[in-house]
Amino acid sequence: MRAPIKPLPPRKSQYGIDPTLVKRRVSELPGMTSVMIKELFPDFPDVIFPSGVGVALVRQATEKALANIDMSCIKPEHSVNILASHHGFTLLGGEPYAEMLKTIKDVIEKKTSCKDIRLRAGVGLRFRETEEYIKRYGLDEYFKGKAIGIAPIDEGIPIETEIGTLYGLRRAYDADWIVHAHNSDVREVHFHRQVDRAVKPFGMSYARIETRSTYHQNMGPRAANFIARAIFDSPFVQKKFAFASFLTVAPNGIIGVDADSDLYALNDRVTLTGCRYYGKVMTLFGQIDECIAALDFPCPVVYVFAGGIIYANFAGANIDLYDLDTPLPPYTWYTEAFYGKAGRPLLDNIPLINPAIKMCVHNYAWIGYPVSFFSEHIPTVVVGREQADLFNRDPQNLTYMQHAVIADTTETAMEFAYNVTGTRNVLIFDGAPGGINVSVPLAELLLKKAPEVDRRVEEELLPKWLRQRGMQKFVAA
Amino acid sequence: MKIVSMLAKVDPDNCIGCQTCVRVCPVKAIKVENRKAVVNIERCSGCAACEQRCPQYAIAMIKRDEPKVVKVDVNAVDYGQIEKLCGEAKLHPEQIVCFCTGTRAEEIAAAILQGADSPEEVSHRTGARTGCKVECIQPILRLLEAAKVKLTPPKDGWQWYGRTVTVWEIPKAVREKYNWRGFYFDEDAELLDKVISAPKQERRDI
Repeated sequence: MRAPIKPLPPRKSQYGIDPTLVKRRVSELPGMTSVMIKELFPDFPDVIFPSGVGVALVRQATEKALANIDMSCIKPEHSVNILASHHGFTLLGGEPYAEMLKTIKDVIEKKTSCKDIRLRAGVGLRFRETEEYIKRYGLDEYFKGKAIGIAPIDEGIPIETEIGTLYGLRRAYDADWIVHAHNSDVREVHFHRQVDRAVKPFGMSYARIETRSTYHQNMGPRAANFIARAIFDSPFVQKKFAFASFLTVAPNGIIGVDADSDLYALNDRVTLTGCRYYGKVMTLFGQIDECIAALDFPCPVVYVFAGGIIYANFAGANIDLYDLDTPLPPYTWYTEAFYGKAGRPLLDNIPLINPAIKMCVHNYAWIGYPVSFFSEHIPTVVVGREQADLFNRDPQNLTYMQHAVIADTTETAMEFAYNVTGTRNVLIFDGAPGGINVSVPLAELLLKKAPEVDRRVEEELLPKWLRQRGMQKFVAA
Repeated sequence: MKIVSMLAKVDPDNCIGCQTCVRVCPVKAIKVENRKAVVNIERCSGCAACEQRCPQYAIAMIKRDEPKVVKVDVNAVDYGQIEKLCGEAKLHPEQIVCFCTGTRAEEIAAAILQGADSPEEVSHRTGARTGCKVECIQPILRLLEAAKVKLTPPKDGWQWYGRTVTVWEIPKAVREKYNWRGFYFDEDAELLDKVISAPKQERRDI
């Protein structure tokens, strides 16, 4: 079997423990191996990152994608806000996304002679996260001091939409033009269900708390996705929107850069690749009957990656998250909200967390996202007292450790998990680029199941998913 | 219910009195006096909004000597009134509205029935919206509105601006225009209606 892939190293951040405290990665333990995504699904596209030439191909792809974008609306005396989001910086180390942002700035400058180009980088629930990335990737210098992080509690601006007033962040829109600089990685399928994924930041990263709360509390699990569209379609945003540039991503890496002045055309392309490529890995993960999930990545618990799939989605892999006829995934905030005081769902047909996850070994993950629901419903072992203390100080996770136990080392945590669960299947969420780090028995299972999953997605599931999203014209494609 | 174990501490040497902390505090526990931010220790909910947004990095979160328990006793209020208020706000009483503190709609309703008349006062009494500070503002506003509280955002503050649309209020024309893209407006409204009318699980002691 193949050696494990070297995972992304721990990152220094106010949201994680000191990287020196991460003594051992789960993939370094005996019995671990790796499976390349293209071994599982040979039809996946080739990647431009990782590659032997660093991010040079990302710059090249961005320049090529932007070459045909009409930027004549941007005059030399205008101002432009390039709108970015934290998540892009978690993809494959973050350099590809940072390079796309830098290239967008350079191309706008070159094509329009505009000099007042700013970076506005939105966040989720860790309000200084993009400040950290801006420093790490030298974006503050690159944008000549005009790069800032924006958070959902910052000053707002009302935006009149077809469904009433919603609220954006003032500093996202304080320029003549905005450029939507995002990525096509699916990430929170449990929330967006691959409906208007390309539009979502208008209701999240660039939006105020009122809007985000509307999405998560006022609408329902599928209707919520209309919020971003309502904002994007508003006259206020339309008047400022110049174009969008997306780092396009598949579970095996960065596959290119896509840009368009028509966000909905780009959205259709993103929907197609999101359903086809991520849908296959997600469906494959749904075939795992039992395993230990090991978290080992510099991100909050829900966002750690394996094969491009985040842990929050694996927690729902017992159902088809892409099937919109299923209203509630086993994990989303609507689902969590609908657990009553006895600790079970208020409705009998609300699906429970993926029963294949027999235990979670939390070797390394960040705070800054409420995840007590996970330790309440999945037996969880956290490695190291320092990590437990960090969670106990986090106002979003004050009860996470009430339901978890602490192990001194990665080795003892895994030993405990093996003994208690009886399974030797281990799925490691460590963001291994190009593949998945797993235990040998799980590698064998994934390789065995992949061909049938591939056929099923192509012939049965993908056509259904596309029809549900009004994309019949792509069904034969 | 929330056990508040942290507390905001201002470094007066770095504070420039810019008021950002005042504008973002969900319980209005900070004011600026003589151009320096001052934290009301009793009122601070340890949410770190001020620490996370201070442009001068002049605020740190420190451990409280003794944790503070923030809780509204649901049993001190007629449960029929709680159910009525939640029903008018279209929420199940046992529905969780704050994912960080696990606060349920019934506790928010109880706080309002006991006199909390603003989101800030609700947060002060229940601890809701003092975790992530983001996701639970709408159900709090819906419950206050159901209680006929006049909603007025804090003057010069950024704590909140207004209640927004719910799925039941999406105009028919909008639903018909966009539903083909997979938004399932009617089905989701029906789902939420089913949740609202679901039986309670009754364990009111926890």
